[in-house]
Amino acid sequence: MKKLVSLILTITVAGMLAIPAIAAETIKVGVPLAMTGAYTDTGDNYWKGIKIAIDEINASGGLLGKQLEAVRFDTQEFAPERVMQGADYLCGNVKVDSVHAGWAGWGQDVRAYGKYTAPFFADDGSQSAVDVFDQDPVKYSNIFQLTDTDVNQASSMFRVLLALPYEYPNKKVVIINADDAWGTGVGDTLEEKFKAEGWKVALHEEVPYGTREWGPILTRIRKIKPAIIHLEIVSAQEVITFFRQFMEAPTKSILSYGYSIVPREVVQTMGKEADGIIGEVPTAMPTPTAPTPEAQAWVDNFAKIWKHQPQAGSWAAYSGVMAWAAAVKAVGDEKDHAAVCKYISTNGYKGETGWWKWDKSNVMRAGGDVPIGHYQVQNGELVTIFTDPPAKPYMNFKFQVPRWCK
Amino acid sequence: MGALMAIIYGGLALMPIFVGGTDHLMHILIMILIWGVVASCWDLIMGFAGIFSFGQVAFFVIGAYASAIVANKFGIPPIFAIFVAGGITAAIGVLVGLPCLRLKGAYVALVTFAVHMILEPFLKGPMGRAIGTGGSRGILTIQPIEIFGFAFTPDHKVAVFYLTLVLAILCSIIILMVIRSFWGTAFLALKDSEDFSASLGVSAFKYKLAVFALTSFLTGMVGGFYGHYVGMLSTRMLGIDLFVTLMIMLVIGGIGHFPGAILGAIVTVTLNEMLSPLGSYRPLILGGLVVVLVLFLPDGVIGLVRRFFNGKSKIQEADA
Repeated sequence: MKKLVSLILTITVAGMLAIPAIAAETIKVGVPLAMTGAYTDTGDNYWKGIKIAIDEINASGGLLGKQLEAVRFDTQEFAPERVMQGADYLCGNVKVDSVHAGWAGWGQDVRAYGKYTAPFFADDGSQSAVDVFDQDPVKYSNIFQLTDTDVNQASSMFRVLLALPYEYPNKKVVIINADDAWGTGVGDTLEEKFKAEGWKVALHEEVPYGTREWGPILTRIRKIKPAIIHLEIVSAQEVITFFRQFMEAPTKSILSYGYSIVPREVVQTMGKEADGIIGEVPTAMPTPTAPTPEAQAWVDNFAKIWKHQPQAGSWAAYSGVMAWAAAVKAVGDEKDHAAVCKYISTNGYKGETGWWKWDKSNVMRAGGDVPIGHYQVQNGELVTIFTDPPAKPYMNFKFQVPRWCK
Repeated sequence: MGALMAIIYGGLALMPIFVGGTDHLMHILIMILIWGVVASCWDLIMGFAGIFSFGQVAFFVIGAYASAIVANKFGIPPIFAIFVAGGITAAIGVLVGLPCLRLKGAYVALVTFAVHMILEPFLKGPMGRAIGTGGSRGILTIQPIEIFGFAFTPDHKVAVFYLTLVLAILCSIIILMVIRSFWGTAFLALKDSEDFSASLGVSAFKYKLAVFALTSFLTGMVGGFYGHYVGMLSTRMLGIDLFVTLMIMLVIGGIGHFPGAILGAIVTVTLNEMLSPLGSYRPLILGGLVVVLVLFLPDGVIGLVRRFFNGKSKIQEADA
């Protein structure tokens, strides 16, 4: 009898101990983003989208009955050893079943995460990242880019700038870009395109992150009086200080901020003061009116949670999580990374605006249901005025001639 | 000094027994060894020779790029390329050191930091691209070090760790020998009173240039090693984060108390990793810790270790 009681007790205790263990079984999702340093703003945008996706999946019962657990890693400023460390930590140590990043190292990340098998989603927007992928597409088959390359995005900016319903007073352009891979990629492509179209690139400056004093450059700009000023430096303080110093004695120039429009702080800080500036977002969720009811519901939900309109990267990162989750559901095993990756690259994913299809380099090329969105700040918020490719006005939203050009 | 160094490296040498299967932790150990050498070199020039050089990160990056370019462009095996890189960095170190001979204190810091500031636009600009730096994109393919057909790639972390350990021990022995030699005494003499030491025949020109050459050679060589280990390079290394982290290593370890910088590297890298999940609170806590350490442990962790051992030996003497 004693033996039986102790056996029952042992089984009961073991069972009780096992219940939390079973209940706590989760699928770990790696999230390497900049949490400190110059790229914190963009890192925050991506995190907002990823968090919504994870919360939604968990609220609907999880993935294959398991809850998702985000494991964050601070990539800081993407020093090579830091990128490698993130991959070793998340994939090698924590053994996550997918990794969702944003800007992640412009090619360094492809090498670092390509040696593991877990699907890796990045928003490098970089031709050099694609070049690394193309060196060994089989080895890097777990790498998925959520946006098109810098070269293609810059081409899109160029097309839309020339498609604006606005008569430029001259054919002079000034290009100012950050001295990182993204900035130079966009700046060089724009220079090439403008020159080919017969424009004069009157000034092309590369500036480091942290530039806040624009006096010398603005003095030259005021002499040149360009029709377009393109600024490509994705950090709020730099672009805000540029605008404010520019407005002290503005020239009649269209201010094109490209991807620099994306840090939330830009419109949040300047509000209506920023009205007239234009910019672009790849893999864009057009706002304030989305193209489909599902997309509109997503925009509304985002605004409800974060109290502002979605910023660049949020929807792309959200969609990366959802594309992976859909593939895991179809494959039925989150651990079968090869099958999950194959499913994503073969079948794509049906999102809020339509189909996502990755090309042979696993790049989400702009166009179709997921175009590049071109925005203008109107009434203190980002309003989609064009989508591209092909460059066409978006719904009934119109380009407004900036007040300093009138 | 030597005994403590042996204990530190001996302890590190045993670590793969416990964490050899965890790539992430092995990577941290490798970086501890690399930063330990860089911080020790910085300590030699700043803590011992009293030259406020702020160019150490720049020399590290110069070495990394030089080795990668020499190996990629001229086909020199990486194991030799890192020594060539050390030589190139030493030559640049001497060039930087020359104007510094006429300067003191904060002005030396300004000149050497200017090298750090100039380096990034140089590497990213047309001149950098012309010599093969890859501009803003960096160098994305660097061959690994190979010895007898074995490639020390990031896939073989334990092997890379022991190779780094050998390199770190060699560099530390060189630093230790210099500190213990007449050179070390000369550095200290120049640091304490340049005029007085000159009157005793200690040449400031010779020793200051020598310390620039030596520390930049070792730092450049380790930078080269880093590039071949990581397999890719970008100017992200010139961000303020690494610069500050290395300085924290010195402060935590104890400036002018070799091998304190190695202890500083162990503590700082470990703390940095442990605090990493805290995001923006990481630099805040790390900064606070430095303030506390400076106030309560002005000689750094090494001061604490020495006090502990000295205290023990005094107790043992009293017991005897």
